[in-house]
Amino acid sequence: MNFILLSVIGSAIILDKYAFGEFGISQPIIAGAIIGTLFGDLQTGIFIGAILQLIFLVGLPIGRDIPPDGQAAGVIGTGSYFLLRVANQAGHALCLAFILALASAIIGGALEIFVRRRNKKLYHLFMKEQKRLYLYHLVGFIPAFLRSFCLVLPIFLLANYIRIPAQFPQLNKELLIIIGLSLGFANSIYLFLKKTTVVYMLVGALCGLALLVF
Amino acid sequence: MRLSFTRFLKILFASFFIQTSWSFFSMQSMGFLFNLFAGANKDQRDKIVKIHKGFFNTHPYMSSYIIGATLRAYDEGDVFPEEIRNFVAITQTSFASTGDLLFWQTLRPALLLIAAILAVKSGVIGPLVFIITYNVFHLFHRVTGIIDGYQMGRDVIYILKAKRFTTVRHIFEILGAFFTGFLFSLVSLEVNYLLLLPITVLFLLLLIKRFPSVLIILAVLLLFVIMVMV
Repeated sequence: MNFILLSVIGSAIILDKYAFGEFGISQPIIAGAIIGTLFGDLQTGIFIGAILQLIFLVGLPIGRDIPPDGQAAGVIGTGSYFLLRVANQAGHALCLAFILALASAIIGGALEIFVRRRNKKLYHLFMKEQKRLYLYHLVGFIPAFLRSFCLVLPIFLLANYIRIPAQFPQLNKELLIIIGLSLGFANSIYLFLKKTTVVYMLVGALCGLALLVF
Repeated sequence: MRLSFTRFLKILFASFFIQTSWSFFSMQSMGFLFNLFAGANKDQRDKIVKIHKGFFNTHPYMSSYIIGATLRAYDEGDVFPEEIRNFVAITQTSFASTGDLLFWQTLRPALLLIAAILAVKSGVIGPLVFIITYNVFHLFHRVTGIIDGYQMGRDVIYILKAKRFTTVRHIFEILGAFFTGFLFSLVSLEVNYLLLLPITVLFLLLLIKRFPSVLIILAVLLLFVIMVMV
């Protein structure tokens, strides 16, 4: 797939984060499945998406707090893995894709803060011309889309053309699962472990063991 | 007093755009007006802008309840600016905290955890389970929020005691806890616990100590680079 088209599709997926709908399609696990389907490898897309999802399980956009952009990480992690894999070894591609995904989550969060600050201008324009509410409100789509596009395009461009040297470390699946699971566990224990739910956590652990044994 | 179907559809469609122009300055203010405009007639719009052009912020899915109730007040015609402004100010914070607790803090992470487990074990079922189940609850609140908000008017705040909020949250807390334990056992044959446990404890401490989420992701990145190099 062309990296420019992938950037457009990825940026459109990220619009679901807040600009339109919030149906959850921008969550890494769903974005991974969509991008995996586009590249004809659904299973790998879902796997990368699921690991990134565990890492970004707690991203609570409460009030004015803007957490790192897990949605951008999902799109960039899966998209750049498939682009890198064309001309590089899978282990190299996976390693660089995850570094790019985590770095882009931080940059994406900062860009989102920038855009949301700039949106103040739209409100001021509306205050001057109150009859143009529809225009100034819906114009908000443009910075929301451009924010993602400016983040996604250079990374996909890099992933499309880069040839990773053999000395670059490779990432195996087990290591990736350990990192994803450790943050996933930490996130879910932080969210769900309470006096009233500790019994259910133990029951869940026993059910998991029973499933393994039988 | 009833809401016509076409008017309901207009408000529902507009509600998907509530955060399009979100800014730190006025937050969802323009989105709220955009939604009210979708359900108001031309005579009501000038008054609506005059009264509600200030700050507005609530949980995006819960905004439907406030929009329905506010439109009901304008349809009844007995709108006193100070009174309706106070009503919106009180309801936006109450619905925001309920929505944040229900969706961002419980329902979404619990469903994503279940989806991630299913995805790693069974592939495409995981994302499908998440997208369908999540949107059943999401759209339920968008749709019934407009209808109940309009029917209850200014009494809409009492709906926060309903089981649709408390029971659902409790169920998903239990599900989240259950699947955390389930995942812990399920992967026991596949990963090295000597490595997994200390990293989990480290991240848990960072979360409990309320380190900024940017720092936590930086820590993940650093750990990732160290582990790959080693």
